[in-house]
Amino acid sequence: MSHQYGEDQDRVNVAGFEIPNSPEASYNNAYPGNEDEGREPPMLPQHLQHTLLNQPTNSNSNIDPCGPHLPLPQNVCLNHLYIENRESPRSVVSLGVTHRFRSKFVTVVLYKPVPRR
Amino acid sequence: MIFEFSIILLILHLQYKFVVDVNTILLTRESDFLPAMLNPQVPPSVPGSSMDVDNEVFQRVVRVTDGTSPESFPIISEADLEISRHRTAVFLSTHMAYELLPESGKVIALDVDLPVKQAFHILHEQGISTAPLWDFSKAKFVGVLSVLDFILIMRELGTHGSNLTEEELETHTISAWKEAKLYLSTQVNGLGSAVPRQLVQAGPDDSLKEVALKILQNGVATVPILHSLSSDASNPRLLHLASLSGILKCICRFFKHSPSSLPILQYPLCAVPVGTWVPKIGEPNRQPLAMLRPSASLGAALNLLLQAQVSSIPIVDDNDSLLDVYSRSDITTLAKDKIYAHVNLEEITIHQALQYRDDPFSTYGYNNQKCHMCLRSDPIHKILERLSQPGVRRLVIVEAGSKRVEGIISVGDIFRFLLGI
Repeated sequence: MSHQYGEDQDRVNVAGFEIPNSPEASYNNAYPGNEDEGREPPMLPQHLQHTLLNQPTNSNSNIDPCGPHLPLPQNVCLNHLYIENRESPRSVVSLGVTHRFRSKFVTVVLYKPVPRR
Repeated sequence: MIFEFSIILLILHLQYKFVVDVNTILLTRESDFLPAMLNPQVPPSVPGSSMDVDNEVFQRVVRVTDGTSPESFPIISEADLEISRHRTAVFLSTHMAYELLPESGKVIALDVDLPVKQAFHILHEQGISTAPLWDFSKAKFVGVLSVLDFILIMRELGTHGSNLTEEELETHTISAWKEAKLYLSTQVNGLGSAVPRQLVQAGPDDSLKEVALKILQNGVATVPILHSLSSDASNPRLLHLASLSGILKCICRFFKHSPSSLPILQYPLCAVPVGTWVPKIGEPNRQPLAMLRPSASLGAALNLLLQAQVSSIPIVDDNDSLLDVYSRSDITTLAKDKIYAHVNLEEITIHQALQYRDDPFSTYGYNNQKCHMCLRSDPIHKILERLSQPGVRRLVIVEAGSKRVEGIISVGDIFRFLLGI
């Protein structure tokens, strides 16, 4: 075989090895959108429902500045920030998180005002 | 025979001062203990008088003081007192605040820009009497909101209430209130510049003794336990609200299994000069114990709580028999149904306020305020165990049977006594 140099280099015509033509479909397709934005976010893992924040306050306990004693939390809901689900015209919202301090657990709840629009 | 003696004892009890005869204190069963007194001339150091409990009356006579009177002397022996104080001090110095934290505890904090009205509701809903205040702009805890603040606010509303519009009540924030409070206190004290009080706080590795001293010396009820990983104390984490009851609980738990190491535990309450007692005839230089009738106005009760700087007032009938106790923390029950906006402090009687507190049908009904009573003959270990229950900060000392109020003993009294302050 003799190689031909120059502009014909890309068009080597070897019998049986011809470059096929481009397919005949249209090249005017729209760019695909970002599908991720159309989808719902993934479901919340169900085990996060077991937060200590939903424990009802012990209605028979005396006013105790040290706070009620709660059961031990599940490891999975530690260090997750929760927000209270109050009805919409609300002026106060509460945020809660359970975290571990050394070998004990502390659940902190903070009440914050909601700024009026 | 015994009954006759008892009646004589009672009469003499009211008329004579008592002298203690330490050597003949017989620590028998609780029920045998009679705070008897005969023969006030018995000198304190008479040794070895044989006391046969069944046939004779105890020659022991008890003198009760509030511990601050210059004439007081400890009835419990000096040796036992010193041992008890020393061992308590050692325990408190060697145990840390971390021990106060429950295995899984909850603490509630408030944003300092919350309206006071909302804060009132939250304290009531959550059943708490104190909450630390968080300032987002400074990223730190700046103070504590307690029932004392509400009493002051109620009093201000009572005197100037008509001047504040509904709108102003709705939006009056905690930080605005704290500034106003600072201003008011400088007016009263005549101080030049208002230096805001720093938050009294402690860390988990501070000793229990440091925490107790902070509470007593600053006149606060609770101290937040904060922890920060960085050395400049930024990003503090709120761990717990420490109170004297919690520390007392640690003490009781520790000494429960070796009660003999704290001799004071076995003595009856009247043998220890602690607490505030109703002054007897012939003791004019003692502070009277603040008490009120149920017909007194709520305004009078709040004023008394503030002026006498006490945390509760026994409510008694005309015979000075105990009916109930009105505490500072009961002020949060006024948050029910927003009655505080329409309340006129002078028109509500204590009786009505107590009924409102105990209403079993209220939304957050917790009927928890049994008045906690004790007898002067109760042993100290029992008193301490009761005082270390959460929410019990004081016991009213009553006479058996008639429930006449004889005095009050609080957790603060115990600690001041044990720490020798």
